[in-house]
Amino acid sequence: MRWLLAFCLAAGASAQAAEQELKLGVFPRRNAVETTRMFTPMAEEIGARLGRKVNLATSRNFDSFWRGVRESRYDIVHYNQYHYIRSSDAYQVVAHIEEGGKSTIAGAIFVRKDSGIKHLRDLRGRTVLFGGGEDAMVAYIATRFILLQAGLKKDEFKSLFAVNPPNAMFALQGGQADAAGAGDRALELPVVRKTVNTQDLVMLGVSPQFLHLPIAVKSSMPASERAAIEAALLELPQSERGRQALAFAAITGIGRARDKDYEPHRRMVQAVMRSDGTAK
Amino acid sequence: MRLKLASKFTLTVLVILVATMAANTLYFLRASAQLQEQQLVERGRALGRLISLVSPEAILGFDYLLLNDYTREVAQQRDVVYGVVVTPQGIPISSSLGAARPGEARPALERLRHDPEVIHLEFPIAHEGVQLGRFLVGLSRHSVQAELRHQLVIQALIVTAIVLFLSAAIYAVFRFNVLSPIRRLIAASGEVARGEYPVVEVKSSDEFGVLARAFNAMAGEVKQKQEKLHLQANYDALTGLPNRMMAFDRISQDIKRAARAGERLAIYFIDLDNFKHVNDSLGHAAGDALLIAIGKRLQGALRDSDTVARLGGDEFLVVAPAITDELQVKTIAERLLQAVAEPLDLAGRRMVAQCSIGIAIYPDTADTVETLMVNADEAMYQAKTIDHGSAIFFTEAMNVRMRERMRMQRDLEVAIEHGQLSLHFQPILVTASHAHHGAEVLLRWHHPERGMVSPAEFVPLAEASGEIVRMGDWVLEEACRAWSTWNNAGIDPGVLAVNVSRVQFRRRLSKRLAELLHTYRMPAQALELEITESVLLDDHREVADELASLRALGVKLSLDDFGTGYSSLSYLKRFRFDMLKIDRSFVAGLPENPDDVSLVKAILAMARGLDLKVVAEGVESAAQLDFIRARRCEYAQGWLFSKALDAALYTAYLQGAGAGVGRLPQEARA
Repeated sequence: MRWLLAFCLAAGASAQAAEQELKLGVFPRRNAVETTRMFTPMAEEIGARLGRKVNLATSRNFDSFWRGVRESRYDIVHYNQYHYIRSSDAYQVVAHIEEGGKSTIAGAIFVRKDSGIKHLRDLRGRTVLFGGGEDAMVAYIATRFILLQAGLKKDEFKSLFAVNPPNAMFALQGGQADAAGAGDRALELPVVRKTVNTQDLVMLGVSPQFLHLPIAVKSSMPASERAAIEAALLELPQSERGRQALAFAAITGIGRARDKDYEPHRRMVQAVMRSDGTAK
Repeated sequence: MRLKLASKFTLTVLVILVATMAANTLYFLRASAQLQEQQLVERGRALGRLISLVSPEAILGFDYLLLNDYTREVAQQRDVVYGVVVTPQGIPISSSLGAARPGEARPALERLRHDPEVIHLEFPIAHEGVQLGRFLVGLSRHSVQAELRHQLVIQALIVTAIVLFLSAAIYAVFRFNVLSPIRRLIAASGEVARGEYPVVEVKSSDEFGVLARAFNAMAGEVKQKQEKLHLQANYDALTGLPNRMMAFDRISQDIKRAARAGERLAIYFIDLDNFKHVNDSLGHAAGDALLIAIGKRLQGALRDSDTVARLGGDEFLVVAPAITDELQVKTIAERLLQAVAEPLDLAGRRMVAQCSIGIAIYPDTADTVETLMVNADEAMYQAKTIDHGSAIFFTEAMNVRMRERMRMQRDLEVAIEHGQLSLHFQPILVTASHAHHGAEVLLRWHHPERGMVSPAEFVPLAEASGEIVRMGDWVLEEACRAWSTWNNAGIDPGVLAVNVSRVQFRRRLSKRLAELLHTYRMPAQALELEITESVLLDDHREVADELASLRALGVKLSLDDFGTGYSSLSYLKRFRFDMLKIDRSFVAGLPENPDDVSLVKAILAMARGLDLKVVAEGVESAAQLDFIRARRCEYAQGWLFSKALDAALYTAYLQGAGAGVGRLPQEARA
């Protein structure tokens, strides 16, 4: 009996410890090593503020990440707007990040200056390289939304997909495509400025600005805990350590966000989906 | 520049070693360079294959950042200059070329592609058979070349060390095994050159050992020959006494010593009397035995400090240093005379020899070797002339006579050119009919100051100086010319008998005579050569050969002064003559002197037995003519018929010769 009691106590302690730890999932727009390097300080800082250990969870690719989301393996998750829209039944947004000092972003279509393409409609029959897959909110959905508003449906141009926006910009300059879909500040990205002659490219169209990437927590999480996490996130820019942690993650700021803030996103997604006949 | 053997050898070894090692090093470096470049290329290929393997996913996913990571990663590899991914159209889509954008990489790439220091590799990037692009990688040879330079320096140092070590080792071996033996041989050769004959130590059995042994054998042989030469050059082979050369050397040394010590020394010139008689009568072996015995006796009669030398023939020389006075000189001379005069047995016959000695004293009469020798010789000549078996000191009077002789010799040398010589002809008649037979050709010298000089006076001088050869030749030619002149004038000169000297006879007389006979168209039978017995004393084979040549020419041969020599009979037996001439000394006593009568009768009987004609010389009276004619002596010459006539008188004589003696010119009888 005494042995059984000791086992039960130990098991109980272990379960309590597991509850105390939080898992922060970050979508793999960068490779796992880079993601770990960038977000570990932030996870540690959040953990310090919560008084709980926050473990960073990286993914090899979007598929494995998305499985983690669908299976609610992450307590806190940082992903793109489309991911949030698709997982908003299980996760609740509490914050959004700022990049480059801006809390919003827009999708944009870029072409080479010497391509002779002057209007979005000129892309009909051409190749458009999107800086992400079909679940890329900015590089695909927002830019498809632009094309859609210009009257171009999916089957009126050839779609290609790059791993990320900078690659789409590289490929565009290299002549791999006639147009590239990326964020409106793609040309300002250091990696793009470094490897692409941005003077050769020009923005052909841009979507409305919409809120930047969200940070959500499990909907099943107690409200107090959700509030504590939200507070921890929002307090990060308030302290030096917090700013340093954000800087590591290339995040210039964090703001409060609620589900309604992502309604514009939902509308764009739905418009594109409807156009494609894949509305969910 | 002359290089020593060691320097040449060392240089050669150095050159060979350096060339060999350099070639080896170059080969090694070349192989190393090839290997390193091969390794570099392999490394580049491994990188290229890896990139071409992983790139399709990135290209298909337009993941140029990943491609950039690849190319950056490649570029960070050692020796990689660039890594560029290009499209199938050649457009760079990812480049490691510094901060250049892929699109701007092309010019830089083109520049690098022309850089000889860069190895360019290219790898296709494909996916499921679709060409996606190419991966270009440039590898720098710089580190390979730097490594090669480093290896070159290391190798050069190693080669230098090896070359120096090997050169030093080879030089040491060369010095020990080659130079040392050579130097020993050089040193030994130097000693041989100085007249020493060292034995070189044979330390090995190789070629130098063989050479050392050969050198020792050679040095031994040279030593023996040198000793033999020294013996031959300085000692008389027959008697073992010092020879003329050694005698001169001894005198020279003794003169120097005497000059330093203020002493006197005496030279004794010794000549055996009648040695020729011993040779002729008892043979050369006996003559040699006599010379050996005399040499020993002379040595026995002298002090240890005195030197006895044999000058040649029957001449000896004694050098007596540290002479105190004339009495001591005379005492030594008497001892020498006595030593020679002691009886000895030769060829089974007991005989007594005697000698004549001429003495010269340093520094009284001369102070040089040559003059002392000449003075002693002159004194000996006087001793022999005056009194056989005596010793005479060289005097001032002798000196005067000697000078006179020398002056006469000088005058004689120009006598032909100055026309002072002339031929006289003494007719020879047939005793039975008084018919003219010919003439003996006699030489006359008309000295511009002394008038007519007797042949007995100047012929010995001419023989001594060698002038007799030229003079004899002149006589022969003049005789031939005279005969030719007479013959061309229709006058029969008969036979001309010309005296030939011993020296002349040795100079291939027959050849010269053939030329003269041919030149003057003179029949050989018209010439008769008168040869004295002295000619026959020389080498019998040569004499016989020359006599045979003369006989082959057809020239008549006559033995002159027969009876005055020592071995006339043996000569008559050995050599073939046409005629004998009985010396005037035998004819003079006819018909009263019984000895001369017997001798002349014997000569005539012998001549008949040997089928020889005989000429009697010096016939001056009718009784003498009657005597020899009664004994069938074929020919005669003498004042009874005519004195010797000069050419003009003899021409006149010939023109009346056919009538016999009674028709001889009156002046010829005077």
